[in-house]
Amino acid sequence: MSLLDGLRHQLRALTSSRSYARELDEEMHFHLSLDAMQREHAARGTLSSADARFAAHRRFGNLTSLTEETRAMAGLSFLDGIAQDARFALRTFRRSPTFTAVAVLTLAIGIGANTAIFSAVNAMLLRPLPFPHPERLMKVSLTVPPRLGDPARTDMVWSYPKFTALRDAQHLFSDLALYTDDQSTIGSAGDVERVQTETAGARYLTTLGIVPSLGRNFLPDEDLHPDAPRVAMLADELWQRRFNADPQVLGKTIDIDAKPFTIVGVLPPTFRGLSGRAELWTNLMSHPAEEMNEAWSHSFTLVARLAPNVTIAQAKIEVPRLGVIVDRAYPHPEIHNEHWGAMTQELDNTRIDPVVRKSLLVLLAAVGLVLLIACANVANLFLVRASGRRREIAVRLAVGAGRGRLVRQLLTESVLLSLFGGICGMAVAWWGVRLLDAFDPGNALRVQHLSGIGAVTFSDIHLDGTALAFAASLAIVTGIVFGLIPALQSTHSSFAGALKEEAGTGDGSKRILTSRNILATIEIALAVVLLAGSGLMLRSLDKLLRVRPGFDSGNTLTMRFNTPEGYGHDSLPGFFDEVLDRAASLPGATGSALIDCPPLNGRCNGTAIVFRDQPPPTPGTEPDVGIHWVTPSWMSVMHVPLVRGRNFTRDDRSGVQKVVLVNETAARKFWPGQDPIGRPVSVGQGGFWKDTAYVVGVVGDVRFGSLDSAATPDVYISYYQSPRGRMMLLLRSAGDAGALGAPARQIVREMLPSSPVYEMRTMQERVADAMRYARFSTIILALFGLVALGLATMGTYGVVSFGVAQRTREIGIRVALGASRSELLRMIVRQGLALAIVGGAIGLVAALAATRVLRSLLYEVVPTDPFTFAVILAVLVLAVLVASWIPARRAATIHPSEALREG
Amino acid sequence: MAPASGPSKSELLKGTLDMLILQTLTLQPQHGYAIAQHIERLSEDVLSIEQGSLYPALERLQKKGWVTSKWGESPTGRKARYYTISASGRKQLGKEISSFDRVLVAIQAVMKRA
Repeated sequence: MSLLDGLRHQLRALTSSRSYARELDEEMHFHLSLDAMQREHAARGTLSSADARFAAHRRFGNLTSLTEETRAMAGLSFLDGIAQDARFALRTFRRSPTFTAVAVLTLAIGIGANTAIFSAVNAMLLRPLPFPHPERLMKVSLTVPPRLGDPARTDMVWSYPKFTALRDAQHLFSDLALYTDDQSTIGSAGDVERVQTETAGARYLTTLGIVPSLGRNFLPDEDLHPDAPRVAMLADELWQRRFNADPQVLGKTIDIDAKPFTIVGVLPPTFRGLSGRAELWTNLMSHPAEEMNEAWSHSFTLVARLAPNVTIAQAKIEVPRLGVIVDRAYPHPEIHNEHWGAMTQELDNTRIDPVVRKSLLVLLAAVGLVLLIACANVANLFLVRASGRRREIAVRLAVGAGRGRLVRQLLTESVLLSLFGGICGMAVAWWGVRLLDAFDPGNALRVQHLSGIGAVTFSDIHLDGTALAFAASLAIVTGIVFGLIPALQSTHSSFAGALKEEAGTGDGSKRILTSRNILATIEIALAVVLLAGSGLMLRSLDKLLRVRPGFDSGNTLTMRFNTPEGYGHDSLPGFFDEVLDRAASLPGATGSALIDCPPLNGRCNGTAIVFRDQPPPTPGTEPDVGIHWVTPSWMSVMHVPLVRGRNFTRDDRSGVQKVVLVNETAARKFWPGQDPIGRPVSVGQGGFWKDTAYVVGVVGDVRFGSLDSAATPDVYISYYQSPRGRMMLLLRSAGDAGALGAPARQIVREMLPSSPVYEMRTMQERVADAMRYARFSTIILALFGLVALGLATMGTYGVVSFGVAQRTREIGIRVALGASRSELLRMIVRQGLALAIVGGAIGLVAALAATRVLRSLLYEVVPTDPFTFAVILAVLVLAVLVASWIPARRAATIHPSEALREG
Repeated sequence: MAPASGPSKSELLKGTLDMLILQTLTLQPQHGYAIAQHIERLSEDVLSIEQGSLYPALERLQKKGWVTSKWGESPTGRKARYYTISASGRKQLGKEISSFDRVLVAIQAVMKRA
């Protein structure tokens, strides 16, 4: 057991080093006092006790060094050394507060920004989905083969009949369920509100592994057939807000879109469904049979949990086979050779849109570069300081300090410094996370339909333990990275050389100068990469800002409200006419209009178009068009230009000849070089499929999708010819559109007491939303680019001014020999420019390679955009010129006698 | 600056000191001062060392598990750390004595031939 005894002994020494020291001290003094006593006794009075003690000490040896030796034996000297190094480092920091402040600040920015971005990456990409065993959850989609002009799709949602075909044939999943998210109006007259809802099967909760915190899940009976009893579950928040967390809520009835539902359960506080924002769940089967039994009405997402013995790879192989079964059960009704399939992927992979994933990774890479530049900068600072400490280090080497020991000392300094930087960096990170939150990219993602599964949201970004651990390890690694070069460098030069050095022209300084130049060059190169990236993104954002969406977004307000129960095709126009008239006569309002789907909405209705004056195409191969319902006033309210023909009038109503408007893109695509006016067409919606409608006018393109996607061919239907319920009210104001909000709300309240007003936003807000994510990632990237430029400029300034300081005597001699000021300026600025040219060239090559990854994030800008590269190189050269001009001017004003004396 | 490397005594002497300590402890558990006195008495001051260097040696022996220590009361009533040789320490002592004997025999043989 000797090994164990030994280990136990050493462990005790290490873990309770303080009591170890005390005991050793006690033991040695016991020894000394005993020896002194013995001597005094033996001398029989001829020895004073002081002399006896002295003799004992002499016999014992050097108490301090023996203590140290014993401690070293116990393995404690390493800890001693660290503590000693740390104390020494703190002393040196106090001696050079400016150096310390600059270094800590630089590192704080680097580490803090990294931690903030890491938090975002962690929340959006890394943190497991908030369900038990999330790695077993899969998303199953239908696949659609490519058609004329349309690419293949692998993300098609399900219809209920197709779902049952898959469900009944499969053995891969232990649980699977359909769901979809929507909005509903809840409550009844006077107490209505609009909430986010999910409609889901009874297996939805069991698939996700969620259990209601109160009451129960939907029962199998409520999940079996369409027209099942209507039941609902509440989110914890809605339960608190609307029902005061009353446990008696179970069994009560709540009106959802004017239909009564029985409340059967309340879900746990953190659960908001896969949409991430649901407040209410209704059972899928509460829908009527004619809606649910339509095999070609695809509107549900399918989520499934793998059976225990099934691997993900197996599922990916088997699901396409199930797709064949579904296709056989429900073949395409029109295109007989078109076969749909099915595929599955990990739910985790769908958590975020690829564009967002990519932009987050780009930001992470960018912020990593910022940290590298910060490291190079601090390493440079260390080198400057090391050259000032050369003699100190040489002396310590001379008196016998080991090189390893000195390197450790210097590394302790740099790690300590970066730990300080890390601590201050937490403040930067805290601020950064709040900034991320302020941009509210989560909402922006939703607006642009980029949110993937909403259960992963930006509001989840916070500084947690993982982020803290990340920051701490980053600080330590950073400290070693930027500390190692100067540490090795400054302990390398032979001490004799350094001791002899007087004028700073020795071998060591040259080498330090060279590595300082290399560091500055690296900084400049990295800054060029970052600047190029952010420059491209800025240019892309600029292009996006210049996009003409096809309408005037100024002074326009949009809002939605439900239409009254029981109104149909005949009565709706009358109702809306009253709304439109009253709204248009509000003080400040200049016009009102209806449209079914606002511009920049991400997606609107689409359908097929056929041309009645041409031979009929193969069914299913008709071209797609966007389809929009509008009132005649929409063109004047939204300021959309009429290009040819006429606008709708109030007389284009039910019962008269059907007419449509088309946009310029449609005119160009379908009737190139011809006049579209008077052409007979049919479109697949609004009752326009069987009948022929004539094109009466061509209007300007409006971007209904997003700013960065060009307008699609669009067809407009006159609202009065095909009245419908869900319309959006547009209000144009002479002044501030927001001011019309309250009175417009009042009109709706008077006319429809049981309908809440929702989606009330100005058109300008909608445009801003459509750009929010691009703006968000661009601004952050630009911020990093700016920091990089600043750091690189600082680095250059440091190198050049250090060079000037080193050459003070040389400069003095030159001046004494008659060198002109401008010659001196040129000489020194040239040094900076050399750095800029070498660093810029390296950076340019690296940037051309690196910015390729930005391609999918850029709008109408190629990653090699010569304009951007020219501008950033100009900015860089300018920054470097300024950075070297300042020390150059100082050098040029040196008085020769002063310089010579100083040197 | 703490000297990280060992004392400047020769390896032979260090090994000898370890051996002497172990030998001393075979009689009975003793505290550091008693060990020092005992070694000095036995070697009649021939192997004179700094008494303090006993402690790094004791630390080394404890780390190897050849010696264990415990605080106890000295005959004068003061607290002292008492060292005890362990079973593995005795085994080690046996090994060291035999190897020391071999070295001694070899040295004597060389000296005789000279």
